[in-house]
Amino acid sequence: MTGPSYSSASVAEGPNRGPAGATEGAPSPLFAEDATLGYGRVAISEGLTVEVPEGEFTVIIGPNACGKSTLLKALARMLKPAAGRVVLDGKDIHSQPTRAVARRLGLLPQSPIAPDGITVADLVARGRYPHQGILKQWSAEDERVVGEAMEATDVTDLASRGVDELSGGQRQRVWIAMVLAQQTPLLLLDEPTTYLDITHQMEVLDLCGKLHRSGRTLVAVLHDLNQAARYATHLIAMRDGAVVAEGAPAEIVTAEAVEKVFDLPCRIIEDPETATPLVIPRA
Amino acid sequence: MRTATTASPAAFRAGRAKAIRLGDYSIRVRGRTIAALAAILVALAGAVAWTVSTGSFPLAPDRLWAALNGAATPAEEFIVWRIRLPRLATALAVGACLGLSGAIFQTLTRNPLGSPDILGLTQGASSGALVAIVFLSGASTTVVAGSAAVGALGAGLVIYLLTRGTDPSGYRLVLIGIGVSAILAGVNGYLLTRSDIIDASRAVFWLTGDLSDRNWDQAATVASVLVVGGIAAAVLARGLEAMRLGEATATGLGVDVGSTRVAALITASVLAAGGVAVSGPLAFVALAAPHIAARLTRSGRSFIGAMLVGALLVTAADAAAVSGIGERQLPTGVVTGVVGGVYLMWLLVIHRKKGVMS
Repeated sequence: MTGPSYSSASVAEGPNRGPAGATEGAPSPLFAEDATLGYGRVAISEGLTVEVPEGEFTVIIGPNACGKSTLLKALARMLKPAAGRVVLDGKDIHSQPTRAVARRLGLLPQSPIAPDGITVADLVARGRYPHQGILKQWSAEDERVVGEAMEATDVTDLASRGVDELSGGQRQRVWIAMVLAQQTPLLLLDEPTTYLDITHQMEVLDLCGKLHRSGRTLVAVLHDLNQAARYATHLIAMRDGAVVAEGAPAEIVTAEAVEKVFDLPCRIIEDPETATPLVIPRA
Repeated sequence: MRTATTASPAAFRAGRAKAIRLGDYSIRVRGRTIAALAAILVALAGAVAWTVSTGSFPLAPDRLWAALNGAATPAEEFIVWRIRLPRLATALAVGACLGLSGAIFQTLTRNPLGSPDILGLTQGASSGALVAIVFLSGASTTVVAGSAAVGALGAGLVIYLLTRGTDPSGYRLVLIGIGVSAILAGVNGYLLTRSDIIDASRAVFWLTGDLSDRNWDQAATVASVLVVGGIAAAVLARGLEAMRLGEATATGLGVDVGSTRVAALITASVLAAGGVAVSGPLAFVALAAPHIAARLTRSGRSFIGAMLVGALLVTAADAAAVSGIGERQLPTGVVTGVVGGVYLMWLLVIHRKKGVMS
């Protein structure tokens, strides 16, 4: 981790940055700097500067088409900025070998594809790809790490089951196990709760919280503002391709901010379970 | 419901793969895959023995052995060394090239129909061969084969250019391939109408696919294409396997998806071009071989399995073609077409019953 020649600029530009003592001054392992992001000639974001604070559970929220998934794709090097850059460990992410990046940063995309008939253990083992080679196909270390990843996500008992037999929640835990087997300090999750029912959403978010507490830096795109406020330690709110607010949920989730981001008149009360902000739309 | 778990290596090993380790190096093998490959090899050995001993001049095992050791009559040695063995070697190499090409295309497109036949490479080879036969009347076999290879690679290039820089999903590749295929079929029909009767009959024979009168030079050419393509496939195999999880997941795992896709497209096109140029379009081999291999090994991928099954299909089909119906020998492509067509229909029936197609 190199010294942050960047942080002064990005902190100054980031509006409403919460005081968040834990992140103050800590070098960010991953950030976008003055990035123009888009597809073809359509720009979604211009001059976007966002940093992922180390050790936090960052959740990106915002209305549909606000550019949150686009930002995540750029941070995961799936989308190359048309201008500006994304920096991982002090270097442009696109200048680094993609396999080396895969040992630092794990990604769970929105709709991964499980090959027909693959077993849970085999799928999780795919996460070892960046640590393997044509003559290093399955080391004792690979076996140990895959076992640990399955245990951490509570899928060990499913090891020999076919992935296509599992429930949506189990399947998502298996995919997370695969990304964990990559052994990366940074995890990026693109809408990990989409298509799941409420129980399984909570299950996946609890797992994310557990992974965060075990020392990983997480970034997730979520749709549900209340879930984001409950689980995130750092929120990034986007609208029209720009960051509107960022900081700790308790600091930035205010009625005015929610109205500004989502056009939703609302009241904020305290979540009786977790004391985090709870957004109640006005009747 | 979650259940309490203990770290259970036994449950984990249920993945059935075992590792063979030597110091820092390790390879992963499955018992089922090894057993299936061994069974395919046995069948292949049977097909080889059948090919070299039957035909219009049957050879008993002792005469065959004598011919192989240079202790037979000149006629027997000529038949074995100058006719049957080169033809056999060509059949093995062509089958392996087509099987491997199909396996790469199916992995790349994530589509069970992804094969050089469907994607237009075979039609491209036909166009190339027809151009040589029709416009260079009396062109040598070598010129026709070279022109066919150029045609196949040209079709591959067109497909690449049309899919480059766009949504790179497998469906798009298959749909564009079908379009290219249809256009080239029209071109081929036109070329046939332009030809005189002698060239036309030669063209039709080429278009059926056949392995008669192959010599060692042709066998060596296909074999070298197979070696180069095989090495490239071995290097690309891990990345392609990761890409079966989707482009985004593969990128996350550290696969350079763009360059892997281009390299795989080139490798599969060269393999198809090499095979088809020498044999003509042997229908269904590239399509069916990977499916049969996947079914036998019970794993979605087996490039080695697809190569061996391809070699087996072409060798067995060629032996059946030589045996012929009654007294008459058939072109090899007729046999692969009939067998492959039946297999494909069977696969579709199974597909409808089980609702899956690997």
